[in-house]
Amino acid sequence: MADATTPKALDSARFSVSKGLLTVAISTIVLFALSALVAPSSVSQGAVLGMLPFAAVLAIVGLGQMLVVQQGGIDLSVPGAVSLAIVVISHQPNGDDARLLPAVLTSLLFAVIAGALNGFMIGRLGLNAIIATLGTNALFFGAVLAISKGIPRTVTDLLSHVAGRLTFGIPNSVYFALVILVIVTVVVRKTVAGRRFEASGASPAAARATGLRVRTHRGLAYVWAQLLYAIAGMLLAGITLQPTAFQGNEYLLPSVAVVVLGGTSLLGGRGYPGATVVAALFLSQLDQFVLALGVPFAVRTLVQAAALAIGVAIYTVNWKAVRQRFTGRRSQAVPAGS
Amino acid sequence: MIRHSTLASAAVAAGLAAMVLSGCSTGSGDAPAKTGSVEGAPDWCGPNEATLGLLDGFGGNSWRLVTTAAGADEVAKCPSITDYLYADGQGDTQKAISDIQGMVAKGVDAMVVFPDAGEAMLPALRSAHDAGVITVPYRVNPGGEDGKDYDIWVGADFVADGVAWGNWIKTNFPDGANILFLSGPAGNSQGEDERKGFESVLTDPSYVYLGEQPFEVTNWDPATTQQVLTAAIAKYDKIDVIVSDFGPSLVGALPEFQKSGRSIPALVTSDGNVLGCFFEDNKDANPDFKLMTVATGNDNVRLAVQHAVARATGGVIPEATAFEAPVFEDSVSGTPNPVQCRSDLPGDIYLSAEMSAEDQAALLK
Repeated sequence: MADATTPKALDSARFSVSKGLLTVAISTIVLFALSALVAPSSVSQGAVLGMLPFAAVLAIVGLGQMLVVQQGGIDLSVPGAVSLAIVVISHQPNGDDARLLPAVLTSLLFAVIAGALNGFMIGRLGLNAIIATLGTNALFFGAVLAISKGIPRTVTDLLSHVAGRLTFGIPNSVYFALVILVIVTVVVRKTVAGRRFEASGASPAAARATGLRVRTHRGLAYVWAQLLYAIAGMLLAGITLQPTAFQGNEYLLPSVAVVVLGGTSLLGGRGYPGATVVAALFLSQLDQFVLALGVPFAVRTLVQAAALAIGVAIYTVNWKAVRQRFTGRRSQAVPAGS
Repeated sequence: MIRHSTLASAAVAAGLAAMVLSGCSTGSGDAPAKTGSVEGAPDWCGPNEATLGLLDGFGGNSWRLVTTAAGADEVAKCPSITDYLYADGQGDTQKAISDIQGMVAKGVDAMVVFPDAGEAMLPALRSAHDAGVITVPYRVNPGGEDGKDYDIWVGADFVADGVAWGNWIKTNFPDGANILFLSGPAGNSQGEDERKGFESVLTDPSYVYLGEQPFEVTNWDPATTQQVLTAAIAKYDKIDVIVSDFGPSLVGALPEFQKSGRSIPALVTSDGNVLGCFFEDNKDANPDFKLMTVATGNDNVRLAVQHAVARATGGVIPEATAFEAPVFEDSVSGTPNPVQCRSDLPGDIYLSAEMSAEDQAALLK
C-alpha cells in the first residue's frame, strides 16, 4: 500500500518536501561542497556547463522511468528507445535542417508505437514488465540497426544549436528538462487524470474497486515514458553531435538509479519528479567529480558503483531493523545511540 | 603524397604486368595457368578461382562502413574471386568467432578478418588456418605468428602514427608543451603503441603529459569524450596540444573550450570530413587552433585483401606487410595538404581514403 511503501512527506499538504527530495538534495549539496573542496575544477563554470546537458538528459530519462515505476513496473527498454530516437533524428534528416521536424515527428511516432507495444503487453496481457521490456529493447535495437546499420551520423546544425547551445548562460537542454519536470509534476499532481494515475499505481486493487481503469493507466505509463526517452535521445544526439547508434546503453542503470535515489518506491505509488531530477544532477556531478579527481578509470567506475549502492541502500534497507539488531546485540557493551 | 605516388606506381606496374601477361596468355591458350596474373587485373590477382570472406568484428560506424566498402572494392578488382561474403561481428566476440567458423564451414578459400577482440580471436583464426583457409587478420594485432597461427597479419603501424604526431608537436612546440592524450578503452594496444611513438620523439622533459597515463580513457564514445574533456579543461589551465586517435569524435567536445572562454588548442589526430569542416568553421574564433591529421587508414583493408587474394589465387604477394598511415592534413605548413572540408557532403566521410568522397557519401545515403 502507498502509505507503507512510500516515504512520508515532512510538511503540510499544501507545500510538502518529500523525504526523498530532502535526502537527495542534501546529498547533492554535500557533493558540490566536497567537489569544491577536494576537486575545485569540477565545479568551475566550464565543468558545470559541460555536466548540465548530460544531467538534463538523464533527468528526462529518469522522469520517464519514474512514471513506469509508479505503476509498479520497470522499463528496461530505455537503451533501445534512446538509441532509436538518436538514429531517427540523425539519419532521417542526414544533415538537412529542413528535414529535422519530420524526423522529430517520426521519432515521437515511433515512441508512441513502442510505448503502446510495451503498454499492451504489460497493461493488457499482464506480462512481466522485466521480460516484456527486455524483449522490446532487443526489438528497438533491431530497428536501430535496420535504420542505421549501426552507423552513427552527424546531426544537423539546427539540432546541435537547439540541444547544445546556451541561452542566458544556461544550456538549452536544462530548459527542456525543467519544462518537462513542470509538466510531469503538474499533470500528475494537479489533474484528475494524474491523481487517478497515481492512485492506480499506489494500490491497483483499491483503484479497481473504485472503478478506475487501472490497466489503461498502467499501459499508458509506458507510452509517456517512451515519449520522454525519445525527447532525451534527440537532445543527447544534439549534445554529442556525432552520437553512436548504441549511445542509449549508458542510460539503463542510471535511469532506475535516479528514480530510486529520488525516493520513488519500486513497488509503485507516489512519484517524486523533483527529487528524480535532483538525483540526476547528483549522479552527473558525481561523474564529473570523480573525473576531476584524476583517479584511474577503474577507480572511477568503482566509486560510481559504490555511490549507487549506498544511495539505493538508504531507501531499500530497513535501517530501523538493522539498528535494533545492532543495538540489541551490543547493548551491554556500548551505550545505545552512539 | 606518399600513398598516392605508391598507388600510382603500383597501378602502372599492375598495368604493365597485365599487358605482358596478356601477351603471354594468348600464346598459351584458354587454360588458366597456375601462377601469374589475370588480364586487366592487378598483379596480386592470380588466375586460380577462389572465394573470399571479409569479417568485421564491429561494423557499427561510418569508418567501418567505408572500410568495408573499400575491401569489397578491392576484391572486385580481381575477377578470379567468384564469391565474396561479408559478416559483421557487431562488437560481440562470440559472434565474431562463430562468423569465422561459419565461413570455414561454407568453404571459403580465403578470409580477411578485423580481429577487434585481439587475442581472444586467435584460436578461431588458428583453426581456420589449420583447416586450410588463407587467413589474413588486419589492423588489430591478434597475437600469434605469421605462417603458424594465420598466413599474415597486415597491421596498421600505430607507432608510426605516434611518431608523425610527435614530429609535428616537436616542430610546432619546440619549447615544450602540455599534452593531453585521449584514446579508446583502457589498455587498448592502439593507444599504447601511439603513445610509444610520440614519446620516442618527444624525449625532452619540457613535454608534459596531462591526465591519466598512458592516456585518458574515452572508449571512443563521443559522450564520454565530452565529459573527459570538460573535466580536463576545468582542471588544467594550460593545454597546448590534444592528441586523439579518433578525431571526428571530438567535434562535440571541442566547443567546451569556448564555453570556458578559451581557445581550442592544437589538435593532432586522424582525419574525417566533419573535423576538417569544424576546423574551417572555428579557426578564426580560436587563434590557437591548429590541426594536423594522419590518414584514418580505411585503405588498410585493401592491403589485407591483396595479401589474401594473392595467396588464394596464385597472384603476386605484395611486398608491404604493414599499413603506414600517411600524414594527411597540416594547417600550419599546408603539406602534404591543407585542411580539407567538403561541406556539401556528409561529415562522416574520410577524404584521406582512396575511395572518392562522392562514392563514400553515396554509401551513407
